[in-house]
Amino acid sequence: MSAKPYPKLQETLWHEKLDNGLEVFILPKPGFTKTYATFTTRFGSIDNHFTPPGGETIRVPDGIAHFLEHKMFEEPDGDIFSKFASQGASANAYTSFDRTVYLFTATDEIEANLDTLLHFVQNPYFTDENVEKEKGIIVQEIDMYRDNPDWRVYFGLIEAMYQTHPVHIDIAGTAESVRSITKEMLYDCYNTFYHPSNMTFFVVGGVDPQETMERIKRNQANKTFPPSGEIKRLFENEPEKVKDEKRELQLPVSLPKCLFGFKEDPDEHKDDVRKELASKIMLEALLGSSSALYQQLYDDNLISDGFGQEYNTGPGYAFSIIGGETRDPDELVTQVSEALYEAAKNGISSDIFERTRRKKIGAFLRMMNSPESIASEFTRYRHKGGDLFTLVEVYESLTLEEINERVKEHANPDRRAISIVRSGTA
Amino acid sequence: MSEQFQRGVWGRLRLHVLPTKRFKTFALSLFAGVPLSEDRVTPVALTPFVLRRGTRSYPETISFRERLDDLYGAGFGFDLYKRGDHQIVQFRLDIINDRFVSVTESLLGEALTFLGEVLTAPALDGDQFRSKYVEAEKTTISKRIDAIINDKIRYAAERCVEEMCKDEPYRLPALGRKDQLATISADTLYEAYRKWLEEASFDLYVSGDTSLEEVQALVEKSFNLPGGRPSTYTKPNLRGARSEVQTIVEKLDVGQGKLNMGLRAGATYGSEQYAALLVYNGLLGGFPHSKLFINVREKASLAYYASSRLDGHKGILTLQSGVEIANYERAVKIIREQIEAMKAGDFAMEDLQRTQAMIIGQLREIQDSAFERISFDFSNVLSGVERTGESFIAEIQAVTPERITAVAQGVELDTIYFLRNRKEEG
Repeated sequence: MSAKPYPKLQETLWHEKLDNGLEVFILPKPGFTKTYATFTTRFGSIDNHFTPPGGETIRVPDGIAHFLEHKMFEEPDGDIFSKFASQGASANAYTSFDRTVYLFTATDEIEANLDTLLHFVQNPYFTDENVEKEKGIIVQEIDMYRDNPDWRVYFGLIEAMYQTHPVHIDIAGTAESVRSITKEMLYDCYNTFYHPSNMTFFVVGGVDPQETMERIKRNQANKTFPPSGEIKRLFENEPEKVKDEKRELQLPVSLPKCLFGFKEDPDEHKDDVRKELASKIMLEALLGSSSALYQQLYDDNLISDGFGQEYNTGPGYAFSIIGGETRDPDELVTQVSEALYEAAKNGISSDIFERTRRKKIGAFLRMMNSPESIASEFTRYRHKGGDLFTLVEVYESLTLEEINERVKEHANPDRRAISIVRSGTA
Repeated sequence: MSEQFQRGVWGRLRLHVLPTKRFKTFALSLFAGVPLSEDRVTPVALTPFVLRRGTRSYPETISFRERLDDLYGAGFGFDLYKRGDHQIVQFRLDIINDRFVSVTESLLGEALTFLGEVLTAPALDGDQFRSKYVEAEKTTISKRIDAIINDKIRYAAERCVEEMCKDEPYRLPALGRKDQLATISADTLYEAYRKWLEEASFDLYVSGDTSLEEVQALVEKSFNLPGGRPSTYTKPNLRGARSEVQTIVEKLDVGQGKLNMGLRAGATYGSEQYAALLVYNGLLGGFPHSKLFINVREKASLAYYASSRLDGHKGILTLQSGVEIANYERAVKIIREQIEAMKAGDFAMEDLQRTQAMIIGQLREIQDSAFERISFDFSNVLSGVERTGESFIAEIQAVTPERITAVAQGVELDTIYFLRNRKEEG
């Protein structure tokens, strides 16, 4: 086990790669009452076409990673939530584009809870009956999101941007795709993606790092796994152009919701983390709540407090999302786009850059108070080959030239898509 | 380990300081509460929206927000909510501890100066608010009120409480009433604000590497409040359920039905039975092992979510679930059976222990978040009780099945609210 100190942050991270391939990280937080642990597999909604180690290439129904996440909580001897509850732990899970995360938070019986987390995620139990029963629940989850205009406008934009890349597929799938899922398909996915060598275990909280690592190692030493092999994920070539320049959808909303963004060629940069942070500074500097443009749009009643921006990257995709509710979607898109094209020509001023950088560093340090955010962000950056605990250094090393270069690359009028949700005229 | 709040008073302000080195930030919260009333609810709601636009030193919104960015991206915001029969405005400021960055100014000092100005030295035009800000924020608040309907889960929850409490001040939304906005102008709002400063109960909380003496000295320099002593909170008016359960059905363009129920809980945060009531809520619907989750979701596959929430300050319990419209009657029947089962004392000892363990875990976790510790302490101020984390845990541990059954007799269903689609069939 190795210990890596981060003196600036006053944190020490412990790490070991176990014999079965599992990467374990422990961040002790002396004085903290709670412990938060995540068990993450690199398997998300985009992994729908793949070749298992030594197997045949398969294509699986939309929403299967999320379905699998639901089903992991069922064990032959009952529901795993009850087991955690008896140990005072609150458990949960979530599925994103490129990973599935299982987690618990507890203040007591930490070792037993660590064992439970390792055990239930490494112990699939799917039957025809329990798979069938889950479909009703997931269809209600899908229906809940279908009525949610924020979700619809968000996903509508990704659907508008991507032609072939599976990032445009709804994480939960559709009622139809969910109904086609069988226990055999779930086992195929499980056996491919839940091998320890495809997973990361992260513990943060008031724990002793040596004891905790020993406990995890003992747990894993008692289990046998087939040898690990390479998983091949197959993505068709995503064309440069967006699929639709504009998508509209009708749902009852108080004001139209409008999101738009720019799709990037994901392969043009090697250092993904640096590019992500530069992109975040770019968007915040130009469109953040203290920017001149934000204030002008607010004064013109074109945006509300909910106006925001984000930057997303992952395997084979990179895009921005900008917008919120607005009385006039076309006007909003025009004004913001013009400002971005203008900035691409003339650049951002250095004092705005410095202030934005400060703001981002402060936000990062505030985030370090939250074990939940640390665990989730650490794993996300780790999967990209980065290190969460060195982000301050990356922020500090970014230059104005790099940000200005970013704006030029990003604000490309040919790669913009727009998604709008507004009320029908009925 | 067990850090204690230090208490002080300065004029109308109660001071609560939690010296701790555990966090990377200083956390500041300022609570201002007044009794909910038809006449005041809207001007009080509008006040923080206008106060966040500018201060005497930073009268332009851009300079106000740039100041926050310069303070290492201090997190500043406010919330409006109801606690018992009071309307509370909470300002929050989260700023990093100086030791993580190289600055010459004291960031805590700057933060308190800033917050003091926000509350007591707003940007003015002569002797009234800037009308540009007042008019813009009237639009903002009006849009927020309208936007509640976009989120059907929240909309249904608020409508249910509004119907249940239609004869009480609690029916009023914390955001105020849209129809009253038109009557408010820069001068009437300023008058209402001055009155609010004279009458509201003010509590200022600071957590971080500091002391009461330091905070008090800083507050004296930066808070220019009217003279007087702190006001206290009055106990909420505890009501029983209406003699016959009312059923409200509302139709909108939705795919999924939202089923909500409102119950009178028979006790409040200040009551002796509160711990038993909290455990009751946990058994009924607070967790994934609770009756609602198990019976509505896991056994009947009717819903993705089915839970209960206790509003201890008002003494009401709300249940919520999203169900297929055709399954409305089945869901109501199953939920009512769970309420009856609780009255009959029909719950397993195992589930009681799980619920206690979960609640105790949640109470322990509060220690790890500065803002949660502040909220917990403020609940005492609101209710006139003196619970500590430890004493409350002891109360939860002492809850017996008999006391839960006793508390269950006082929980009465009052209102069933169903949000459904417009079609007649189903």
